[in-house]
Amino acid sequence: MKIFSESHKTVFVVDHCPYMAESCRQHVEFDMLVKNRTQGIIPLAPISKSLWTCSVESSMEYCRIMYDIFPFKKLVNFIVSDSGAHVLNSWTQEDQNLQELMAALAAVGPPNPRADPECCSILHGLVAAVETLCKITEYQHEARTLLMENAERVGNRGRIICITNAKSDSHVRMLEDCVQETIHEHNKLAANSDHLMQIQKCELVLIHTYPVGEDSLVSDRPKKELSPVLTSEVHSVRAGRHLATKLNILVQQHFDLASTTITNIPMKEEQHANTSANYDVELLHHKDAHVDFLKSGDNHLSGSSREGSFKETITLKWCTPRTNNIGRSVLLEQPRKSGSKVISHMLSSHGGEIFLHVLSSSRSILEDPPSISEGCGGRVTDYRITDFGEFMRENRLTPFLDPRYKIDGSLEIPLERAKDQLEKHTRYWPMIISQTTIFNMQAVVPLASVIVKESLTEEDVLNCQKTIYNLVDMERKNDPLPISTVGTRGKGPKRDEQYRIMWNELETLVRAHINNSEKHQRVLECLMACRSKPPEEEERKKRGRKREDKEDKSEKAVKDYEQEKSWQDSERLKGILERGKEELAEAEIIKDSPDSPEPPNKKPLVETDETPPVEKSKGPVSLLSLWSNRINTANSRKHQEFAGRLNSVNNRAELYQHLKEENGMETTENGKASRQ
Amino acid sequence: MDDYDKTCLESALVGVCNIVQQEWGGAIPCQVVLVTDGCLGIGRGSLRHSLATHSQRSESNRFPLPFPFPSKLYIMCMANLEELQSTDSLDCLERLIDLNNGEGQIFTIDGPLCLKNVQSMFGKLIDLAYTPFHAVLKCGHLTADVQVFPRPEPFVVDEEIDPIPKVINTDLEIVGFIDIADISSPPVLSRHLVLPIALNKEGDEVGTGITDDNEDENSANQIAGKIPNFCVLLHGSLKVEGMVAIVQLGPEWHGMLYSQADSKKKSNLMMSLFEPGPEPLPWLGKMAQLGPISDAKENPYGEDDNKSPFPLQPKNKRSYAQNVTVWIKPSGLQTDVQKILRNARKLPEKTQTFYKELNRLRKAALAFGFLDLLKGVADMLERECTLLPDTAHPDAAFQLTHAAQQLKLASTGTSEYAGYDHNITPLQTDFSGSSAERM
Repeated sequence: MKIFSESHKTVFVVDHCPYMAESCRQHVEFDMLVKNRTQGIIPLAPISKSLWTCSVESSMEYCRIMYDIFPFKKLVNFIVSDSGAHVLNSWTQEDQNLQELMAALAAVGPPNPRADPECCSILHGLVAAVETLCKITEYQHEARTLLMENAERVGNRGRIICITNAKSDSHVRMLEDCVQETIHEHNKLAANSDHLMQIQKCELVLIHTYPVGEDSLVSDRPKKELSPVLTSEVHSVRAGRHLATKLNILVQQHFDLASTTITNIPMKEEQHANTSANYDVELLHHKDAHVDFLKSGDNHLSGSSREGSFKETITLKWCTPRTNNIGRSVLLEQPRKSGSKVISHMLSSHGGEIFLHVLSSSRSILEDPPSISEGCGGRVTDYRITDFGEFMRENRLTPFLDPRYKIDGSLEIPLERAKDQLEKHTRYWPMIISQTTIFNMQAVVPLASVIVKESLTEEDVLNCQKTIYNLVDMERKNDPLPISTVGTRGKGPKRDEQYRIMWNELETLVRAHINNSEKHQRVLECLMACRSKPPEEEERKKRGRKREDKEDKSEKAVKDYEQEKSWQDSERLKGILERGKEELAEAEIIKDSPDSPEPPNKKPLVETDETPPVEKSKGPVSLLSLWSNRINTANSRKHQEFAGRLNSVNNRAELYQHLKEENGMETTENGKASRQ
Repeated sequence: MDDYDKTCLESALVGVCNIVQQEWGGAIPCQVVLVTDGCLGIGRGSLRHSLATHSQRSESNRFPLPFPFPSKLYIMCMANLEELQSTDSLDCLERLIDLNNGEGQIFTIDGPLCLKNVQSMFGKLIDLAYTPFHAVLKCGHLTADVQVFPRPEPFVVDEEIDPIPKVINTDLEIVGFIDIADISSPPVLSRHLVLPIALNKEGDEVGTGITDDNEDENSANQIAGKIPNFCVLLHGSLKVEGMVAIVQLGPEWHGMLYSQADSKKKSNLMMSLFEPGPEPLPWLGKMAQLGPISDAKENPYGEDDNKSPFPLQPKNKRSYAQNVTVWIKPSGLQTDVQKILRNARKLPEKTQTFYKELNRLRKAALAFGFLDLLKGVADMLERECTLLPDTAHPDAAFQLTHAAQQLKLASTGTSEYAGYDHNITPLQTDFSGSSAERM
């Protein structure tokens, strides 16, 4: 159904003239005597609804069904006609609910049987209906604004459902002519207006209703084209429940609905708890839910399917769920002639809305697919499944219903924020345990969990610094690190090499975020100041570039930290080897830095103007290698290249030749350079 | 399907139609390949005859085209174009494609009929209809090359002013995650396997990593199996956590990735496509309005992960989620009247419920202009008053009389007493203060 089809706009025009106050002559017993009541009481006489009551009730039922299934974009305008037209609501979405309409109808009240019939006419309402169809709805307005110069492509079609008591077929023809004439006139008006739209197509549904038992003075007529703009159909219907049934059929036709009757629903109420009492419920829904029945011709229509004269419904059986693990859902079974059971639909409830799902009951085209463990990456056994689970929980979505604005005043799209966050959180995210050291260390968590944030608080920075000092302390105490020995021969790298790998990885993580904020940079500065590096000339130079004040800050922080170090994991303090020696070396490095000679170029090491390009290629380039390359280029511009580095690979191999000899391997092999 | 010794394309198409529907129903897209020498048969049952009688079909001998399932009909002619054009064969075959709503294509042989040219014709079909759908699955910087199977079909949004088929992006971008319990069982257009693939530098597929027993140890597939792949990581965590990943397929088009177990041992990464649009699942709200939990003032999932922001409640409740009055069937009206009566007999204990039900009936009667009902119920309440047993609480009589009087006033329809928003309130009596209200 196209959004701007005839069903976008429905105008109800209900006759409020004196004769509508007449009884429909169908009695309703309302005083039902209960069994154990005193004998001898005569029940009150049954009452009957007026033609007006029947009309209003049936049209409200039409609206109820429409609003329930299409809460948006299907609009009703309700008009009551007597000596004039009373338009009870507008096309705006907030006017589109039963409560509003009921209150407006109550204000109108039933027709006055003593009013002068000469003054009253349904024509007032029909004219108003055409007028209102020319009025633009908020959805049409939105679509026109969106299409700009192609605004004329937004359609304006509508339907007028007129419930009246006509005098004769010629009276009906007069009403049709009037509508056609009015459309013609109003389309002329609309052509010269920005606020009105010409009616392209109008479906007039005239319903003549009369008391039960009387002869109809008007004959039925199927849909007929009166002009390229107007079609009209006439239904002659007895009042009472016949009118309600007619409107029920019409709402199904107008909105492509179909009916399903659910049988065998167990009674929930206490008094029926232990009985097998059950009941049936008829549901209306979009007819797509029956598409399989309609195509296969295997439909189970209860009742006859004579052309629209009887209501068609498909019967499905309620299957009481045995377990509750599918939540607020229940499966529906299709009774088949063969006796075989087929679950064809599912009913589920979300936030008080009921949905009917069509389930596929035929063969799946994805039979026996290969397991994920048999495919690419399927043989890898040390994925960081738990860590990624944690990552997913942190990146869960939640609705933001109130609009939020960016600093520049533009509307912020929450989903874009979600993507941004994923981008930040994955800048450095090794997929397997053996590819990472820092994410296997509890001690790194306080830093790793906050460094990915868009902005840091002072407390976050402090926590990051504490984390770094803690790592320094661990190194000083020579704590073992959870370095993977996968792919290495022998015992793996030595302790100082392990720490070098760990520091490199931590640096990679932090560097990936330094452009987030100045506070992120402070974390990097702290890391660079504290991390262990061999006392090579090159390294001294790097540290020498640090501003003195920052060094002071770091030192002060170190002192702060010394007082607080009790917070750290005492377990890790155990089993430390060669403690004293390392401690000395480390202390010397830190103290050494402020006295280092000033570098020739005072440009800060970290350049904010040069963002790492977001890696889009599928090639095995890691973030680290990107950074290394960048730093290399930047550094090479500033000084004469260190002789050893000129011959190095990734600025590493040359420094650790002794390791290479000992382990018989390239140090980069276990470092991050090989990481992808 | 049995084979016969006479060319009868219609029977063949009917056979295909039945088999596909029996096996896969009416929703699964199916490609039908018709291989023919271009001869259409003779007499009854020939394609010429079928087409000539096409307009005279009844429901029982309906022509099998268009197929009652999404389809493409590919006609492979073992003849070259010139041969076909010398008769009306090609026209008839083209009619078939037209009858299938234009879904399909005719292939003919270039040059003389020989094995090489036939192979080349089928090669073209394979290129057109059987190329795998390759995409890149992305979650921030984590990426994996994948094949999506079956190929996602273009989707035409019916509600649009300009119905152009939407095609899914080859970049499948994860935007966030949602618990399975929250997304529940959403309606989907189609389901697809997401298979990680290994690509070489030229972008050609070198393997799916699926090991074949015949292949030697160092095959490309073996190597691919040992290289960490994001799909496997994602799948593992989705499975363990019971979550789905929401993936963006295009502008205003989303889907979800989840783990689906085939058996205890086998499970797979699957992708389901939602219907295109800003709000495919009403209980999640608009997709664009979903954002990261870190932007919320407090974690909407709770500190102990014990709550959820979903499902979203609809702005207006559906009629079945509220107490809407419908009297179209007499039983609806009778039930409402009975409710009032039942409560009337339990006055003063049920005073609140009595008035609540009374006011509900009053409102509906006023809206429907059904003033006779108000009079009728007033009469009934007055009768109830006369039937009260001696043991009845004195307040009961006062309340019944008061309620009846109020209904009678409303039934006059005068604005003073018949206001829709006006509610009949319990009569304040000397007893009402002491009688405990129980609902």
